[in-house]
Amino acid sequence: MTVLIDLTGITKVLKGQEQDRTILSGVDLTVRAGESVAIVGRSGSGKSTLLSILGLFDRPDEGSYLLAGQDISRLPERRAAKLRSSHFGFVFQRFFLLKHLTAAQNVAMALVNGQGWLPRRERRARVLEALDQVGIAHLAKNRPARMSGGEQQRVAIARALVRRPVVLLADEPTGALDTETGTAVIEALLAATTRGCGLVLVTHDRDHAARMDRTLDLVDGVLTERVRA
Amino acid sequence: MRRLSGRFRSALVIGLQGIRARKLRTLLSMVSLFLGVLAVVVVQAGASIAERALLANVELTNGIDGTKNLYVPPEPGAASAVLDTVEGRPDATAMIVLPAIIGEPGVRPVNEGAAPFDENWGSSGEICFPDGTCQPNPEPTGQAVEVRLTALTGDVRAFRPYRPYRPRHGQWLDFTTMPAMAPRLVLNLEAAKGFERYRVPAEMRVRGAIAHITPQFVGVIDDGDIQPRAYVRMDELVTWLPVNTLTDPGTGGELQVLMTGSTPVEQVLTSRLTGLGLQVGVQTVDSLERQEDELALIRLVFLAMAGLVLLIGVAGILNVGLATVGERIEEFALRRAVGTPRSLLAGIVLAETLLTGLLTAAAAIGVSVGGLKLVSMMLGDAEPFLQNMQYPWDAGLAGIVAGLIAGILGGFVPALRAARIPIASVMRA
Ligand SMILES: Nc1ncnc2c1ncn2[C@@H]1O[C@H](COP(=O)(O)OP(=O)(O)O)[C@@H](O)[C@H]1O
Ligand SMILES: [Mg+2]
Repeated sequence: MTVLIDLTGITKVLKGQEQDRTILSGVDLTVRAGESVAIVGRSGSGKSTLLSILGLFDRPDEGSYLLAGQDISRLPERRAAKLRSSHFGFVFQRFFLLKHLTAAQNVAMALVNGQGWLPRRERRARVLEALDQVGIAHLAKNRPARMSGGEQQRVAIARALVRRPVVLLADEPTGALDTETGTAVIEALLAATTRGCGLVLVTHDRDHAARMDRTLDLVDGVLTERVRA
Repeated sequence: MRRLSGRFRSALVIGLQGIRARKLRTLLSMVSLFLGVLAVVVVQAGASIAERALLANVELTNGIDGTKNLYVPPEPGAASAVLDTVEGRPDATAMIVLPAIIGEPGVRPVNEGAAPFDENWGSSGEICFPDGTCQPNPEPTGQAVEVRLTALTGDVRAFRPYRPYRPRHGQWLDFTTMPAMAPRLVLNLEAAKGFERYRVPAEMRVRGAIAHITPQFVGVIDDGDIQPRAYVRMDELVTWLPVNTLTDPGTGGELQVLMTGSTPVEQVLTSRLTGLGLQVGVQTVDSLERQEDELALIRLVFLAMAGLVLLIGVAGILNVGLATVGERIEEFALRRAVGTPRSLLAGIVLAETLLTGLLTAAAAIGVSVGGLKLVSMMLGDAEPFLQNMQYPWDAGLAGIVAGLIAGILGGFVPALRAARIPIASVMRA
């Protein structure tokens, strides 16, 4: 299968007041199309930092980052924004829904981002398709305040899916949910991989990690493959 | 092109969503800015109106800008030369001013020297003769009023825009009819006041006249003069006062000719009078030019004050803008996460405040237009120049510019801040 993401020797150093702290020191990671990867590790081990480098929120200090074969380790912000829009979908522990917008408008937000323009009809079709993929098309007109946590997180997943991303990045997406709704959220994310999307999931939940194709441990700034029993 | 329109439409949608979600904030921004923009508009409008009013007053006494005033020395023979030359010409009017006393014969007027009625110019109680000698005036003060009798050869309104003051007070002189035996007089406001205060018989004495004249009053005008004046047709006056005595030094008349800027009369008259051995002076009225500097300074001072008020408004909009950005940090970080360029986010914040500024400007202009209408409705009777007042367009323009500048000043820092929001730290769980 095609390699979507290829990280080699990624290093991230936090500039501290007294001394610098190395968060990542030589991370290697490959993610293929349709593949799901779980990243586990202690709190503060740098999992979110790694995701923010993967998602082009942040740049590594060293190492190379190939996206579909192209080196994007040192990308100017303008092109990074464009790639975030076209290649990535993000899901966070907090849902980050805009409370004054409906579910549909929250999903459409990813389409109304200054990167190209879809006619209203096409936009609506895409939004409904995404909401349908996570099983909440019937809530399209609801505002976040009137939805449960699981429903809100699924709106957030629909928002991540609506641009048909190449890679989904999820940072503890079930952290704020109970086990049952958490499982439904994981189902929704896994469903995307059947359509060829790569998935990188940061999680503390062993069961959720076990459902991914691979599990990687982030220890002392290095990723190590966990051998499954 | 396509990329631009996509950006523009996205900005429009996001901006409108933002304003709709924060109507109260938008309103608060507008309130804080409103007084400032209103101050600028009012100062600009006030200055323009004051300029017009001042100019209108100056025009009453000096004449319309561009008018030429030719002063003729009071020498025998000058009057007939002047009257001959300007007769029947629409582009030049001769004007002679004589002292005249209206009222009881044989008494001194209550306002000797044609003084304004509420001022005492300290009448000397003496009569002075052309040879320079003076002697006590034996006449007692009585029911008589002195006016500056102003005789005209034509309608002087082409050069001095007298407005009929309250139309019910009769008419202006009609120069198209046959001259009447009893000269028709039009009074200025001060003279009208005098005749209202003192009941005097309608009998007029002018030095050099062949008999006492019985005038008829036909109207009242506002000529901006603080001294009482009566206007009369030259041809009706000369029935009683021979032309050659008009400029007799004993009569005390001041003769001048008002002309449009480019009339041949100037040349003809100058050469004729020079031929008589007289020195003439010509002056062109340039009130606007001379007043402009002074007015510009006043306007500047007031604009500076208005600018200060505006600055306070900008501080208000800036404050609200910063608070709003602070509140929207997560939204902006999220929008950046889904690929919205930071320049677009900055543009949206700036556009939202600009729109607020423009809305405020529109509101301030609307209020000032309404206010001017109200003022002109309520005070139009007392201050004629306020009647049919046109709204000064430069005030509207100043308001829009003030709104835009305030929007830019108040939106710039929040926009920069919005663009600088880091995605990673906000989205970190
Ligand atoms: N903006 C920041 N300022 C200071 N320290 C930070 C910042 N972001 C992350 N860190 C530190 O970097 C380390 C890694 O953080 P993070 O990637 O969020 O860990 P994880 O997601 O695995 O819990 C932590 O020790 C955290 O304190
Ligand atoms: Mg984390």
